[in-house]
Amino acid sequence: MSSVRRVAHLTPAYFSPDSYVGGGERYVDYITQAVQGVGGFEQRVFTVGTADGSFERNGFSFRVLGNESSLTGQVNGFSAALWQELPGFDLVHIHQSLTIFGAYSTAIVRSLRIPSVGTDLGGGENTLMLRGRGIELFDGVISISEYARGLLDKSYSGLHEVLVGPVDTSKFSPDPGSARDRSKVLCVSRVVPHKGIDRVIAALPPGLSLTIVGRVYHEPYYELLRRMADGKNVHFVVDADDEKLLQLYRTSGLFVQASTALDIYGNAVAKSELMGLTTLEAMACGLPAVVSNTGSLPELVPDPRFGLVFSGHDQLCTIFGRYSTGLWPENGAGALARAHVINAHSMDAIGNRLTAFYEHVISDHSKQWTQCGS
Amino acid sequence: MRILIVSNILPPKVLGGYEIACGNVARALAERGHEVFALTAAIELPHTDDPPWISRGLSLHWFHPTEVSDPSVKQWRLHQATCSDFSNTARLIAAVRSFRPDVCYVWNYMGIGGAGLLAALNAADVPWTIHLMDRIPEEIASNTAPHIVSVFGGTLHDLFAPATVIAMSEHLLNEIAESAGLRFTGDVELVPGWLDLPEPHTHLPYRRDGITRFVTAGALQPTKGIDMIVEAAGRLRREGLVFEVAVYGGGNAAPYVDLVNAHGATDVVRLCGARSQAELFGIYAESDAFLFPTWEREPFGFAPIEAAGCATPPIMTRNCGASERLVHGVHCIKIKRDVDALTDVMRDVASGHIDLARLGGTAARLVRQDLSFARWIERIEAVLARCASRPRNRSAVDDPRLEQLAYLQDMLALQMRFA
Amino acid sequence: MRILIVTNLYPPLVIGGYELACSNVAKAMQARGYDVRVLTTWCHLPQTSEMPIWVHRRLDLHWFVPDRPEGTLGERDLHSAICSSYGNTLHLLNSIREFRPDVVSVWNPAGIGGLAMMDLLNQIGVPWTLHLGDRVPIEITETVPRDVLGLFHAQDGSLYERARILSVSQHLLDEIEAVAGITFPHGSDIVAGWADLSDALPHEPYMRGGRARFVAAGGIYPHKGIDLILEASTQLKADNRDFSVDIFGDGDVPRYVDRARSLQVHDRVRFFGPRSQAELVRSYSGYDAFLCPTWERDPFPFAPLEAAGCGTPPIITRNCGTSERLVDGVHCVKIERTVDDLANAMAGVAEGRFDLARIGRAGEQLIRSDFSFDRYLDRIETAFREHARPWRYEAANDPSLPLLAFLKHNLSVSLRFG
Repeated sequence: MSSVRRVAHLTPAYFSPDSYVGGGERYVDYITQAVQGVGGFEQRVFTVGTADGSFERNGFSFRVLGNESSLTGQVNGFSAALWQELPGFDLVHIHQSLTIFGAYSTAIVRSLRIPSVGTDLGGGENTLMLRGRGIELFDGVISISEYARGLLDKSYSGLHEVLVGPVDTSKFSPDPGSARDRSKVLCVSRVVPHKGIDRVIAALPPGLSLTIVGRVYHEPYYELLRRMADGKNVHFVVDADDEKLLQLYRTSGLFVQASTALDIYGNAVAKSELMGLTTLEAMACGLPAVVSNTGSLPELVPDPRFGLVFSGHDQLCTIFGRYSTGLWPENGAGALARAHVINAHSMDAIGNRLTAFYEHVISDHSKQWTQCGS
Repeated sequence: MRILIVSNILPPKVLGGYEIACGNVARALAERGHEVFALTAAIELPHTDDPPWISRGLSLHWFHPTEVSDPSVKQWRLHQATCSDFSNTARLIAAVRSFRPDVCYVWNYMGIGGAGLLAALNAADVPWTIHLMDRIPEEIASNTAPHIVSVFGGTLHDLFAPATVIAMSEHLLNEIAESAGLRFTGDVELVPGWLDLPEPHTHLPYRRDGITRFVTAGALQPTKGIDMIVEAAGRLRREGLVFEVAVYGGGNAAPYVDLVNAHGATDVVRLCGARSQAELFGIYAESDAFLFPTWEREPFGFAPIEAAGCATPPIMTRNCGASERLVHGVHCIKIKRDVDALTDVMRDVASGHIDLARLGGTAARLVRQDLSFARWIERIEAVLARCASRPRNRSAVDDPRLEQLAYLQDMLALQMRFA
Repeated sequence: MRILIVTNLYPPLVIGGYELACSNVAKAMQARGYDVRVLTTWCHLPQTSEMPIWVHRRLDLHWFVPDRPEGTLGERDLHSAICSSYGNTLHLLNSIREFRPDVVSVWNPAGIGGLAMMDLLNQIGVPWTLHLGDRVPIEITETVPRDVLGLFHAQDGSLYERARILSVSQHLLDEIEAVAGITFPHGSDIVAGWADLSDALPHEPYMRGGRARFVAAGGIYPHKGIDLILEASTQLKADNRDFSVDIFGDGDVPRYVDRARSLQVHDRVRFFGPRSQAELVRSYSGYDAFLCPTWERDPFPFAPLEAAGCGTPPIITRNCGTSERLVDGVHCVKIERTVDDLANAMAGVAEGRFDLARIGRAGEQLIRSDFSFDRYLDRIETAFREHARPWRYEAANDPSLPLLAFLKHNLSVSLRFG
C-alpha cells in the first residue's frame, strides 16, 4: 500500500444514546477499530441525525448530516449532503445496505463512482436493493456470517466476503482472579420472543441456575418468562452495564443462546441472528457455548469440544443433562473457545481480512473504470 | 422471411421459460437465415451481448420491484400493461413501417399494452402469429371490460381472429377457453416445450454411493412448489433417509433459507441460485430425479422436459401442461399436488423402490426424438410461413393515420376507464 | 461535430415557436455539415415523408396529453414528466452509446423526465448544453420534493454545473434565480430568437382609410392576453374608434369567439385559426400594429419580433422576454399588462399619436441586422463548438448505468409515493 486510504463508513445511526444503541451500530464501531488497528487507513463515519454536526470519539471523526427523509424510522433516514461530503474518499462502506438509507446512499456513491462495499446488518429487506437488484451496484459485499451470505448470494454476483466479528478479545477476556461457578448458566440477549429465552428456562434442570441479561423490549414476553421461571433458579438482569456483563461472562460456567425462527407465539422471524456477537464475546471470555440451530449461531461453534448446537427442547435437555453431570465439556474447553475467537474473530483477524478486502475492491474498481474510461 | 418478434422482455432478464424460449427461437430463426427484428422492453440488466436485431425500446409497465397499495395506481398500471400504452403502439407501428415484416411473431405482451399492439397489427394488416405459453388472452379479458376491448376491434374473439396460434398444450387452450371465453377457431398449432441439447450428457449412475440426489430448477416461488419440496425434505430427513435436494433458480432466497431451517433440512436442502441452461443440463445428468410439484395451472414447464431429456426422471404434478407429453410410470412419476404425495414418491425413490434407470432411459429417448428443439423450430418456421402467405394489403402499413387511430383508441380507452 | 438534440416535442407536434426553433436549428445544423440526431417523443399526427431519418421518436411523453388522470395518478404522471421516466433515461443512454455525440443539446426536457436525463448526462460526462426557452429549472425545483432532488444532485444548481446554458433572455435567467435560487456559475449565453423574413413583403401605407388594423398571432390562451385584447377592443369600440383586430393561432378559439360575441366586438375582432410562419410574415405588411399583451413570464415570444421585422410595430408587455431586446418608442410600444394600458396604446395608434412608419422602419432595421436566423445559428454553433470537448465514450458503456438509473428512478417514486 503506497499511501493512506480514505474510507468513509455510512450508517443510519451511530452507537450512542444520542442516536441508537443496537447491534448494528456497535458493529460499525468495532469495524472502524479493527481497521484502525491494521493502520494505513483514515476513516470517517457519516450518519444522519436531526441536525448537522461533527464530533470525535475514540479517535474517530463522526459527521452527522441533517436527515432529509420524510419517512419515520432510523433506517429510513438519509442525506443528499453526501454528494458534497464523499468526493475524495477511496472507498465507501455502506452499513445497513438493504434499507432506504442504504439504497439512497448507494445511488449517490455509485453516481460519484467511488468504490463501495455494502453490509446488511439486519435493518431491512429493501425491495429495490434485492428484487430490483440495486445490491449489484456494490463493488463488494461483506456478510457478517455464512448464514447472512446465504441470504444474499443469490442476489449478488460480485466480490463477497464473510467476516464474523470482530470481537475485542482484550476487553472480552477471562479473569484468572475471578472464580467461575460451573452451575451458573448465562444467557445474554434482549428480552424479545424470537430470542427463545423461554426454551432455555423450559429445559433448565434442577441444580443449574440461569442468569438472563438484557433489556426488556416485550413486556408480555417478560411476564411469560417470569411465570415460567417460578420454582426455578432464574435471575433477570435488565439493566446491566458493560462492567456487570463482563463480570458475568467471567464468572459463569456456560453460555446459552437459544434464538428461534419461530417464536413461542407462533410468529415466524426472518433473519434471526445474522451474527450472534454475544456468543463470540462469551467464548472470548472463556465460556463454552450452547446455541440453537438458528441463523448464524451454529457456525459460531465449529468445534464440539467447546460448543454444541441444539434444535429443540429434548436436545437442549440432553445437553444440560450432560453438562450437569460433567460429561461435557472436557477440561480446557474455555481456553479452546477463546483461542478459536482470537484466531477467527478478533480485531486483528477481522481487521486484516477487511482491509485486504477493501484493497481488492479498490483495485478491481480501478481496473473496471479504466476500461470504462473514468 | 422477415420476422418481427414482439415480446415483453428478453434475456438476460427472465422470469421463466417464456422469455428464454422466445430468445432461443429468435436466435434460431436468425441463424436459419431469416431476417429477424425483435422489439422488446428496456431492462436494467447489462445486455452487452445483444445481437444487433434486438431493439429494447418498449416501456414495461409490469414486474415492478416495488408494490403499490393505491388501487387507482394499480388499475392504471394494469391498464397500460394489458390494454394499451400508446407509446409502445407507436413504436410497433414505426417498426412495422421501417422493417416491413412478412409476419409479426407475438410472444408475451403482458406489461407492454397487449390489446393496443394487436389492434395496430390488425389495422396495418400485418399477418401475425401468437405463441402462447401462458394464458395471456385471459389477462386482457380479466383486466379490460368488454366495452373497452371493443375500442380495439370488437370482441376479444375479433381481436384474435386474424392470428395464427401456437400453443404449448391442450391444457393451456382449454384454460384460455374457460377463463377468457376465447376458443380459437382458426389456424392453431400445438408446439410443446422442447429440449435444446445438441450434445447429450451421459447420465451418471443413479443413487451413487447410496445417496439420492433430487434436483429442481425454476423461479423460487410458492407456485412452483418449492415450499412443498422443503417440507417433504424435512420429513424424510427426520425418517433418516439418505438424500439431498439441490434447488436452482433466481428470486429472493431469504425466505427459503429460513424455511429450510424451520423444517430442519439445512443439511439436505441446498439453495444454489440461478444457473445457465447449459450448466443445468450438466447438473441434471448427475441427479437422480427432477422434482416438479408445480401448480396445476402451469401451462407447460420446460424444466422437467429438459431434465427428462437428460435421463433424469421428473416427479411432477399430474395435470400440469408438460404432463400431456409424458406417461406416468414410463417417462415420469405423476403425483397429486400435495406434500404427502410428494413425500411418498421421494421416499420410494430414496429407498431404491423405483427403477430410475429405466424411467430415465425411456424419458430421454422420448424427449430427444419427439421434443427436440431442431424438430420444433422447423414446425414453428412452417407455421410462420403459412401465416405470412395469407393475402394482405401491404400498403396498409403506410397509412399515415395508423398512429392517429391508435392514439384515439388509447385515449378513448383511458376516458372510458378512468374519466 | 456530432450533435444529439433532446427535446420533448418536435414538429408536426408543436405548441409554439420554441419547438419550431428547435426543428429549424436541427435542420440548419445538418445543412451546415454537422452530424445531427434528434431524440424526441412519439407523434400521433401524420408525418410527411420528408421527415428526416435522423429524427428518432423513441421517447415517452408524459405531458401535454389530453385526458390524463388527476389525483395520485396525475401526480405520478407529473413525476414521470418532470423528474424521471426510466424508459426515456435508457433511450437517452442508448442514443449516446450509438451516436457518440460531441455535444448533447437539451431543449425543453419537461414531459420526458428531464431531471433524471440531465443527471445521466452528468454521470457520463458528455458535454451538454441546455437551451432555456422556458423556466425548466423552476419547474423541477417546484414540483420535485427536496429529498428526491437530492437523489439526482439537484437541490441547488449542481445539476447544471457542467452544462453550457443558452437562454432566450436575461429576463428568464433572472426569474430562475429569483424563484429557484439557481444561478449558473459558469455563465450563460443569451441566444434570443430570430425572425425569418424571407417571405416578408414591403409594408403597405399605415392607417389606410383612417382605420387602425391590429394583428395578433400565437396561442389563443388567457396567458397570451387574448382576454385583454377583447376587453380593450370593447373600450375602443365604445369610443367609436375605427379599428379591426385579426387574431391568428390555435387554442381555445371557440371560447374566445363566444367571448367576443358577448362583448359585442365580434364585428371588430376576428379569429382566423393557425397559419404557417411564412403566411403570417406575408400578412404583417398589411397591419398597423402587432398586439402582444402576453404574460410577464413569457420568456421570449417570437411573433412580435417577426412583426417588427416586417415594419409592424409591436405593442408589447413591458417586461416579457422579447421586450428586453426592443426599445420603447423606438422599435415598439411597451405597456403595462392591463386592459387600460393596452386600450390606451391601441387608441394612440388609432389617433395617430405614434409615428408608426418611423417605429416600423427602426424595428425592421434592428431585426434584419441583429435577429437574422443565420446570426442566431452562428451563436448556437459557437456555443456548441466551445463547449464540445473530448470525453471518454467508454464512460457511457458502463454496464451498470441502467441499473443505477433503475435504482434512482424507483427510489424517487418510492420516496414520493410510498
